Amino acid sequence: MAMGGVAGSDAKGDCLVSVESADALQIDIRTKAEALVAPGIQMVVERTLEQLGSPKLTVSVQDFGSLDYVVSARTETAVRKALSLAAVDPNTVVEREATAVDRPRRSRLYAPGNNPRLLAGIDVHGADCVLLDLEDSVPLSEKTSAQILVKHLLAAIAFPQDVWVRINEQDAGGEADVREVLRGRPHGLCLPKAESADDVIRLSKFLDEVEAAYGIEPGFTKIMPIIETARGVLRCEDIATADPRIVMVAFGAEDYTRDVGAIRSRPSLLFARSMIVAAATVAGIQASDTVFADLSDTEGLMKETALARELGFDGKGAINPRQLVPIHEAFSPTENELAYAAQVVEAAEAAERAGSGAVALDGKMIDKPVLERAKRLLKYGAQLAQGGM
Amino acid sequence: MKNALGREIPERIGSRETIPYSGAFASLRNDRKAARHQKGAPRDENKLLPSIEAAIEATGLSDGMTISFHHSFRDGDRVINQVLDVCARKGLKDLRLLPTALFPVHAGIVDHIKSGVVSRIEGSMNGPIGAFVSQGGKLSDPAILRSHGGRWRAVEAGDVEIDVVFIAAPQADAYGNATGIKGKTPCGPIAFTAVDAQYAKHTVVVTSDLAPYPVYPMEIQQGWVDYVVVVDEIGDPANIASGTLRLTTSPTRLLIAQMTTDAVVHSGYFVDGFSFQGGAGGISLAATKYLGDEMEKAGIVGSFGMGGGTKMLVDLLHRGLIRAILDGQAFDLDAVRSLSEDEAHVMIDPGMYANFDSRGCATYKLDAAFLGATEVDLDFNVNVNTHSDGLLLHGIGGHQDVAAGAAMTMITIPTLRGRIPVIMDSVTTVTTPGEVVDVIVTERGIAVNPKREDLKDRFVAAGLPVRTLAEIKHEVDAMVQPVSKPVFGEEIVAAIEWRDGTTIDVVRKVEGFE
Repeated sequence: MAMGGVAGSDAKGDCLVSVESADALQIDIRTKAEALVAPGIQMVVERTLEQLGSPKLTVSVQDFGSLDYVVSARTETAVRKALSLAAVDPNTVVEREATAVDRPRRSRLYAPGNNPRLLAGIDVHGADCVLLDLEDSVPLSEKTSAQILVKHLLAAIAFPQDVWVRINEQDAGGEADVREVLRGRPHGLCLPKAESADDVIRLSKFLDEVEAAYGIEPGFTKIMPIIETARGVLRCEDIATADPRIVMVAFGAEDYTRDVGAIRSRPSLLFARSMIVAAATVAGIQASDTVFADLSDTEGLMKETALARELGFDGKGAINPRQLVPIHEAFSPTENELAYAAQVVEAAEAAERAGSGAVALDGKMIDKPVLERAKRLLKYGAQLAQGGM
Repeated sequence: MKNALGREIPERIGSRETIPYSGAFASLRNDRKAARHQKGAPRDENKLLPSIEAAIEATGLSDGMTISFHHSFRDGDRVINQVLDVCARKGLKDLRLLPTALFPVHAGIVDHIKSGVVSRIEGSMNGPIGAFVSQGGKLSDPAILRSHGGRWRAVEAGDVEIDVVFIAAPQADAYGNATGIKGKTPCGPIAFTAVDAQYAKHTVVVTSDLAPYPVYPMEIQQGWVDYVVVVDEIGDPANIASGTLRLTTSPTRLLIAQMTTDAVVHSGYFVDGFSFQGGAGGISLAATKYLGDEMEKAGIVGSFGMGGGTKMLVDLLHRGLIRAILDGQAFDLDAVRSLSEDEAHVMIDPGMYANFDSRGCATYKLDAAFLGATEVDLDFNVNVNTHSDGLLLHGIGGHQDVAAGAAMTMITIPTLRGRIPVIMDSVTTVTTPGEVVDVIVTERGIAVNPKREDLKDRFVAAGLPVRTLAEIKHEVDAMVQPVSKPVFGEEIVAAIEWRDGTTIDVVRKVEGFE
């Protein structure tokens, strides 16, 4: 019986791959400037088929300006559909250095996981964390395509920042997401609608298994639970302290307001925000505020970001690169703050040299928490300066 | 023979001896220009003629002659097609076209080439006509492409002699005075062919709005004009702002615009009296907008912004952020309106804008310019004429003139066009030499020409992402399989003139393309 599979789309930056079973391998490529780019696309298709066990197929590719990783992803998706292959051997886990627990994460920039046009260049905007989304921005029918595309993107790009993947809830395809994208070795996974410590522990245990199977060092993959329900808010201390993989908790206001029947406003979100910041503090991790959905309202974004910092958040979500500058500005220490922190540390060091127990600056006593905060701020400032951010 | 950039240039192109390009400012002249065609007129001369056909007959236009046009209506132009259709009906052959630019609306010229009405083109080549000519064997001589300033210079120098210039004029009087900013369908400045009017054997003003004498401002003067023809339609202003003029929403392009703005702000040129020009591309328009906000923040008032006039530039003028706009052509209707309302929105012709053989160009007063490209290479050379497939798809516009003029010339480009990298080892065609290009801004970093260590130091000190072009290229090339090169034939289909009249490169026939 003839079998077939189609993947991709005719959108800019994408390609449409369709395969059918055949007696021999045949590849047909249609694209603009064919003589120039078709040989390159052919190479990528051949390489991908080889990794899939060189099945005998007719493969036709219609290219709309797709990069190599898109061509391989769409080819793999179409072939797997045609041959009903659940997955391929995990022999291609990429290299990536683990993320530091306390590195600055002022921004997490979302990008829809099945949209090559919006994924293109997502690494160049200077976001502290890039967040490739498999959940809300991906229609149900495209989940597998998105997993495979994100896997190939992770393998193709040496991200200069944290790169995370937002998976689906564990019982709603999340485990398949993990199995697929871990071959691309993301720095971490965002767990949506986290409502209990068990949700996190369950994911962490599953990660133990998959990391072991793929030869990834245990604990490499971090977790960012997203708190976006009433239940999650009330249990966020349990969630934040549930597992050593957690480096940050994030707030999702859209689902939260829907859950509790609130209208989004400063007062209606205040309780959840403060709970999350307090939980993160207890857990010794970072907290990231919800996204601001109105792209055209820069002033609104600035106000909301200033509020988030006031409340103690370390960062905020972004739905478009244009939102990064105001967010980064709000969460970066000012020169005055850095200068004051340096004075505090200097005064403490001078007091220590003098053998004096008490530290004073400008006539004010400096106690230990103030000193610790100053040191943290200076380290943070140095990390930001080093990252060129 | 090879020119100073190592490009192979033949001794002759068509009927002309070539002078190889030898450097951006290597051929300054100090001699007498070619004389104009002179012609007297009795005091009661009646210049009104009933139709384009009557004008063609009156001028004695015949086979092999040269006709010229301006492009102020851009993609809304109706005059070039009307004139050529009449020429075709009258059985004229072998005409040479000398437009200041062509647009998609002029795609019908392909048929006139096929039927032999047009056999040579000097000026701009856009999409369909350029692609057609790139097949080879279409024109009797290679096309000659010139910049706006280069074309003005060539007419004045007698490099190209014009038999009849047809000037689309939104408003004219019966004695030939004409303007582009009044009438039923104003389009902005129309002085692009003012030099043609002064040097051609015959000048025909074609208007859709005949007004009582005297019509002003006199962009075209009565003393240059032989005939005035009234027609129903000369152009559709709605199509002036088509094509490249769109505000982009692409995050990559907006990032490049932001990086461009940051680079300008930290260049050392960003002080009171600062001047700049942006092109009509989405990145340039966004950069103009961002730059205005930075000027406001810093309390800086610029001396002038240069057009193509756009809504973006007009906004800066109205906000008091620049003292004047110097404008040779309108890129949208906001600019057209502003030309008749804002005294500080000043019309200039391409001679003042960019004539190499003059004692000073407006472009030389520019501090910063941001321009586009189809390709750049590791020597900072820029291509705006051909694509990587070798097809001749664009004219030069003011690219060379602005790049050579501005103190800091910035090329703003995304690193990939589809799956084709934009940074090459060597560009397919050199339009503008790396010698006059200072900075290349891409979404993956800012590359500074090694001869501008001063700029590099400033950018680095400001924390801007400065990288070498080779580094950026390496990163981009890793994302796509190498692109094959087009196969070129021997035949030269076009020559690219540098703005001084020397030949900077040639474009050859593309094999296997139909």
